[in-house]
Amino acid sequence: MPRLTLRINSGSRQNDNMEDAQLVQDFRGGNHRAFNKLVARWQDRIHHFAYRFFASSDDATEITQKTFIKAYQKLDTLEDVNKFGSWIYTIANNLCLDELKRAGRRRATSYEALKVAPQTENATPADGTVLRNEGLVLLHKALLQLPVDQRVVVIMKEYEGLTFREIAEILDEPENTVKSRLYYGLNALKKTFDSWNINKEVFDYE
Amino acid sequence: MNKETARLLFMDYLYDELEQDQRKELEAYLSHNPGLKKELDELGDVRSMLQHLPVQNPAEQLVMVEPERSGFQDWWNEMIESWLPASGFARAGFAIASLLILFVVMGAFTKMNISVGDGGFNLTFGEKQEIIQQGFTPHQVEMLLQQVREDNAVMISDAIQQAQQQQENRIEKTLVNFADYIEQQRQSDLQMISSGLYNMEETYYDRFRQTDQVLGELIQTVSTRN
Repeated sequence: MPRLTLRINSGSRQNDNMEDAQLVQDFRGGNHRAFNKLVARWQDRIHHFAYRFFASSDDATEITQKTFIKAYQKLDTLEDVNKFGSWIYTIANNLCLDELKRAGRRRATSYEALKVAPQTENATPADGTVLRNEGLVLLHKALLQLPVDQRVVVIMKEYEGLTFREIAEILDEPENTVKSRLYYGLNALKKTFDSWNINKEVFDYE
Repeated sequence: MNKETARLLFMDYLYDELEQDQRKELEAYLSHNPGLKKELDELGDVRSMLQHLPVQNPAEQLVMVEPERSGFQDWWNEMIESWLPASGFARAGFAIASLLILFVVMGAFTKMNISVGDGGFNLTFGEKQEIIQQGFTPHQVEMLLQQVREDNAVMISDAIQQAQQQQENRIEKTLVNFADYIEQQRQSDLQMISSGLYNMEETYYDRFRQTDQVLGELIQTVSTRN
């Protein structure tokens, strides 16, 4: 059975944690440039997380900026400097949830529009590239249709490469709850893909 | 293992967080349950499809802290950041190289000379000079000792003479002070005797006058009765 492995090498991750911890300590020691380095190291990951969460580049940019502004203000409260990664994801996740509550009405309308099944049944093999491009859009739409708690877990596990323990720490939930949400999330995605006639072959056109 | 416990391990299995023993146990169980294996494969397909999800990177750094340029600390941090390499190993090498350069430069300025000879390791600064003499002969040592003895004798003699002189001065000063004291005491006694004689004279004179007065009155009284 093919297995997809996104786990980052543990040694590399440990070095990353040490570098983050050193930068946090440098910042606390008065070196503000250290924070700019932290931003440079983490902004792509936070931006990706927010982009996958909202499927909007503007929202992702806004969430990323808010995340680092809040991190700048609260970095002195970080108890364990070796857990900067989990801490920054916690901030980003909370800001995403706040944004959903704030703009819930607008986004709910948007989700309603997504529930209309795409018309891919009549496409021909010659339209493979079109299908693939449409499939990529639909992937994101399917992800957005997931309940928020499942969507967060899928993004963190599938794209951010976090361990179940790290996700449980970020969300302040038991590990089994995280695994359960991921299981139901993947099953829900499978049903959505089936209903939209999307399968692996759609993405084989390069 | 049953279907429920097998499903509980699906996520750990898919994301490679399952212990080796459990992985083998699950795979063995799935080999006898094709329906459950199909379910797991479908979840794996979902994962492989999700991997195609596009993503966008931010075009530039979205947040930039501009530190207040308040003084030496910021300037120093900037210097360190711009000059020193990033890794600790490279920084250590940089530091060693800097020390070596500093050592060479200082050596050039101070005309440092390092040599190794029979006598051991020599480190000198300034112009190199030939060593004129490395020690003293026995005769020179004897002369030096004689010279030291004579110097010591002269020094001790001077010290004794000086001490005697100080002692004489101190005795002379004491005698002078004693003579002054005796003289003062004599003057005081003479003044006291003189004063006593004067008072005694005054007393006799008064009594003499009183006697004359009484005799006069007596004579006058006798004359009046006669």
